[in-house]
Amino acid sequence: MGVLSFFGLQKGEGKKVRFRDTLRSIPIFSELGRRELAAVERILHKREYQAGEVIFRQDEPGLGMYIIESGRVSIRSDDAVDKMTELGDGEFFGELPLLDGGSRSATAIAKTQCRIFGFFQPDLFGLIERDPRLGVKIVLSLAAIIGMRLRAANERVQSLLQEHAAVHAAAAGKRRAASRN
Amino acid sequence: MNQARSAVLNRWLALTGAVVLLTIMLLVPGVVKMVVVAFLLAYIFDPIVTAIELRGLSRTASTLVFFGFVGCILWTLFTLLTPVVYNQIQAMRSGAGSRQTSLVILKLQGIVRAKLAFVGLGEVNLAEKIGQLSGYLSDSILDFVVHEGVTIVLYAVTIPFLVFFFLKDGRDMKKAFISIIPNRYFEFALDLLYKMDVQLGNYLRSQFTDAVVFGVLATIALWLLDVKYFMFIGVFAGMANLIPYVGPIAGALPAVAVALFDAGDVTKAIQIVIAFIVLKLTDDMLVQPLLVAKGVHLHPLLVLLAIIIGGELFGMLGMLLAVPATGFVKVVLQESVVTLKKYRFTD
Repeated sequence: MGVLSFFGLQKGEGKKVRFRDTLRSIPIFSELGRRELAAVERILHKREYQAGEVIFRQDEPGLGMYIIESGRVSIRSDDAVDKMTELGDGEFFGELPLLDGGSRSATAIAKTQCRIFGFFQPDLFGLIERDPRLGVKIVLSLAAIIGMRLRAANERVQSLLQEHAAVHAAAAGKRRAASRN
Repeated sequence: MNQARSAVLNRWLALTGAVVLLTIMLLVPGVVKMVVVAFLLAYIFDPIVTAIELRGLSRTASTLVFFGFVGCILWTLFTLLTPVVYNQIQAMRSGAGSRQTSLVILKLQGIVRAKLAFVGLGEVNLAEKIGQLSGYLSDSILDFVVHEGVTIVLYAVTIPFLVFFFLKDGRDMKKAFISIIPNRYFEFALDLLYKMDVQLGNYLRSQFTDAVVFGVLATIALWLLDVKYFMFIGVFAGMANLIPYVGPIAGALPAVAVALFDAGDVTKAIQIVIAFIVLKLTDDMLVQPLLVAKGVHLHPLLVLLAIIIGGELFGMLGMLLAVPATGFVKVVLQESVVTLKKYRFTD
């Protein structure tokens, strides 16, 4: 480490520290140390989008995930009329293709001017090859997040099923009452 | 300045830089050769540097370790080969062939005079002609070394220098290149680049490994046959093997010439020809199917055309690089078409 960077005086050092803080706030990278975050930062692709610009389209091949440094992104499905969700600073999206390399399940559009970082599967594979310990840490975190989302989705399905059963039972009760009358 | 304007400005700056660089390269053709050779070498050696990096070293340190290792090998080879090459040139210049050489030449002269007298070769003096040719050849080699000395030194310094930076900063260069691609085509370009990287890397590395294997086998065969300068000729045969069809013949020629005109041994020359035929068959049937990537299959006619064009444009180096370059273009086109179909650019 150079003397300047040691004292945080190197040009852009403050910006770097801020960005590493943003990275650490993302669950996938929250367990990483300083050196590991720097290694991740080196493989990220910085992109800038204008409001209304498409980041990726549903059904197109996906290479990896995006992390929002600043701005707002809207996620929409072609099947749904309304937007699915809206994300802001420090949030991430499109992480499934990072693992399975599959196609995009929704369309992402920049709602405001955005500064976004792309984290892609081939780079992740390269990182795993060069630094397996770091690679495993990232993949495990990713698996944990996807597991958590799967659990949440299961709970949501369960609650919807219960709601559906309750509605169904109520409707059946109404029908029975109507037929008695 | 807002983000959009700065992105557009960066893109224009990068584009202008690329155009200026391309113009310089086109105006000074030597630069193209150096950059292409350095790029291909860096591509071939990248996995070795990455393997060193896996031991926990930084990219710069890994590149330095690799260069140190290659430097040691090259220095050893240089020390070993320089006296051999110098002696060979001296021997050719003096024109003093061995007794067996003179006998072989006289025997050949007898055959030519007897059998080819009807085409006006009844009074030919083969010894004098070969002496003239040999002197001309050695003078040409010396002329080449003296006149092209500066260029050779320039290449010897610049190419390793370029390879070093391509190896050290290759990833950053690729990232910088990707950063200038417009957002809509960014993932497509990235996808294409990664696929090309895999295909092209496999292809170039397999070609290089094949050349090394052929070179080593040829060196061993020539050493077993007790051919002078076996190491020098073996290395040349390995490199020549990169040129399909013509390469193996060009590789065998110096060994046959040494056997005929230095040792004056016709039997040995025949043994060398047989050894090269066996080597080529082994290479075609055993080595190449194991090493050479199946993805890049080039039609023989295309290969021949590429070699002729490469030779016309850049000489020997062009012939050597013609097939990898054609493979590169084919991979780019192939992957572009496949990847393009998956994206909805018309929307």
